Amino acid sequence: MRRLRALEPLAWVGPAVVLIAVVVLWPVIEMIRSSFLKISRFGVVQGGNGWANYEKLVNEKDFADIMLRSVIWVVAVVVLTVLVSLALAQLFNQRFPLRKVARWALIAPWAASVLMTAIIFKWMLDPEVGVINQIRLKLGLIDAMGGAAADQLGDASTAMPWLVFVAVFVSVPFTTYALLAGLATIPGDVYEAARMDGAGRLRTYWSVTLPLLRPALTVAALINMMNVFNSFPIIWAMTHGQPGYSTATSTILMFILKSSDIGESAAMSVVNFGMVVVLTVIFLRVSRWNKEVA
Amino acid sequence: MNMKLVGGAALSLATLLVLTSCGSGDGGSGSGSGDQASSGGEVTLKMVAADYGDGPGKPNSGETFWKGVVDEFQAANPGIKVDVQVINWNDIDKQVATMVQNGQVPDILQTGDYSGFVKDGLLYKTDEVLSPNVSGDLLQKFADFGKVDGTAYGIPFVSSARAMFYNKDLFSKAGISEPPKTWDELKAAAEKLKAAGVTQPFGLPLGQEEAQGESFLWMLGNGGGYKDASGKWAINSPQNVETFTYMKGLVDAGLTTPNPGTKDRKTVWEDFGAGKVGMVNGGPMSIPIFDAAGLKNYGVAPIPGKSGPLDTTLGVMDWIMAFNKNGHAAEIKKFFDFFYTGNAAQKISDTYKLLPVTNGGIEKLSGDEKLKPFLDALPNASFYPFQDPKWAEVNPAIKQTIGGAVKEDPAKVLGELQKVAEAG
Repeated sequence: MRRLRALEPLAWVGPAVVLIAVVVLWPVIEMIRSSFLKISRFGVVQGGNGWANYEKLVNEKDFADIMLRSVIWVVAVVVLTVLVSLALAQLFNQRFPLRKVARWALIAPWAASVLMTAIIFKWMLDPEVGVINQIRLKLGLIDAMGGAAADQLGDASTAMPWLVFVAVFVSVPFTTYALLAGLATIPGDVYEAARMDGAGRLRTYWSVTLPLLRPALTVAALINMMNVFNSFPIIWAMTHGQPGYSTATSTILMFILKSSDIGESAAMSVVNFGMVVVLTVIFLRVSRWNKEVA
Repeated sequence: MNMKLVGGAALSLATLLVLTSCGSGDGGSGSGSGDQASSGGEVTLKMVAADYGDGPGKPNSGETFWKGVVDEFQAANPGIKVDVQVINWNDIDKQVATMVQNGQVPDILQTGDYSGFVKDGLLYKTDEVLSPNVSGDLLQKFADFGKVDGTAYGIPFVSSARAMFYNKDLFSKAGISEPPKTWDELKAAAEKLKAAGVTQPFGLPLGQEEAQGESFLWMLGNGGGYKDASGKWAINSPQNVETFTYMKGLVDAGLTTPNPGTKDRKTVWEDFGAGKVGMVNGGPMSIPIFDAAGLKNYGVAPIPGKSGPLDTTLGVMDWIMAFNKNGHAAEIKKFFDFFYTGNAAQKISDTYKLLPVTNGGIEKLSGDEKLKPFLDALPNASFYPFQDPKWAEVNPAIKQTIGGAVKEDPAKVLGELQKVAEAG
């Protein structure tokens, strides 16, 4: 009876463990296994391939550029998202009329499908009919619709900022809510104490709010980082990584490779997986997440 | 130690695993083998087909089309059931690859290529699953492309050809009397259109969707192609470099779609339908798009080449094939014969503006004015070198990067593609 009792927790965690094993761990193992196989585009497994898939991947002409761009993409989107969200969270933490409505409105970009948002932006930027270009035309920023000047998604130097913008746009709601929840946990008396000690507003924010917000900030940034690194729909829907590979990240390359060489594509997935783990570890080191707030 | 933090970290770790594994999830939805013989010796053929229509729920969806065919077939052949799974073009190759990888092949597959299944002995030979009178009626040139090392495995399913569409209203507005035949005339016409305020005198989609098709049409205009006459890869041949240098000149002068390397064919066709494009290369399948956009006054002409209109054009064909894993050759033969001898092939041409692959089918359609230029071009069409196993790697590379040849140095971009073709 006692032994049965000891097994009881297993009944509770068992289903979750099985779910994770089947839905998460098994595909990861399959992915790693596939990356060492020679698989034709048609899905025919032609035997082992050693490290050849990885060699081929690393020797792709655009590989280094794409990996560097992926890191820049993650850093740019996450930093901008966090900065915007910190400001928004502060704003939405104040009491003002219709605050509830404003908070609801903020959910919209989050609730809408990312793919849908990306396609909407693509059409708003269309050189012939896009509403953003019509506004730019009215403002005198471009001479006419339809030309290269109106085609911002056609060139990497103007397309990349728009891709980052859309990625920030869809990441801000979640981050803001995570930070709002963090702000709600900060007790009022620490602010009172700060005021008693004569701290100004900036000083209070820097020395009281931010440190106390760190747990929420860490989790929000971390989830964003993984999400953005693996983000596929925004870039795919808006540019397909083109022109060339000049707006592609590693996730886009992985998808493109899937139509020519499944083994190499799997190798890219494994590298991606490794990158996320490395980025996460670096981030946790830098943010000293497990150190007690001083 | 702050418990909240530990919880948060655990949560993030779990999220990390879930998110990273998303990237590698295969979208496969193949279900079991086709060997589910039920009582009474009934045989179920499992078929996977591509969707030529506008997707599920639309009146022209693949589901609706195949249901019509299958109902008729099953009524005539009790004892054989056909179970059709329709998949859209973007996903079908990847999903079929997953089925093959997992050993769950269908009995019949209808898609854009067959050649990769041959080497591993996955397919029936054509004469095992098709009656001689049917295979004899197939267009010879097309049927020949279904052969690997002299033996036929792929059966041509439908085909398509290309020609140049031009907007007659814009042409008369710009004072152009007839469609251009040569590159010089094309440039002159484009300049007149530009002067008349047309934003895209020539629609040039070199983006991911179909860059390999548009590029090939231009290469043919200068006696070039992906391979030379001896069958060697020649993507960076002098002719092709000259071709792309000419195209780059058009792009730099603002006479084409801006940044062609990022523009998909469908977008440019829609722009043509909206009256913003003067000329564009298209096929029968673009006619419904132009009609839907409300464009009526357009003409069809042969595609201009460097010194005269093309005497050949890009032919594209899709294939149907039979996998031998589950047996069922006799039942598959019945279904194929039914499909090609009945009115199903005609129905597919009517519904989707695709061209037939049999002499009989071409005869039946020869009365259609809009399709005539394409039907005439079919017997002398040129094709992608898709039987070369390297094409599977070259094609995605072309789709992704060939647009750079009209933006940067043509010789360099084409040279990189040549390297991909020659590697390994």
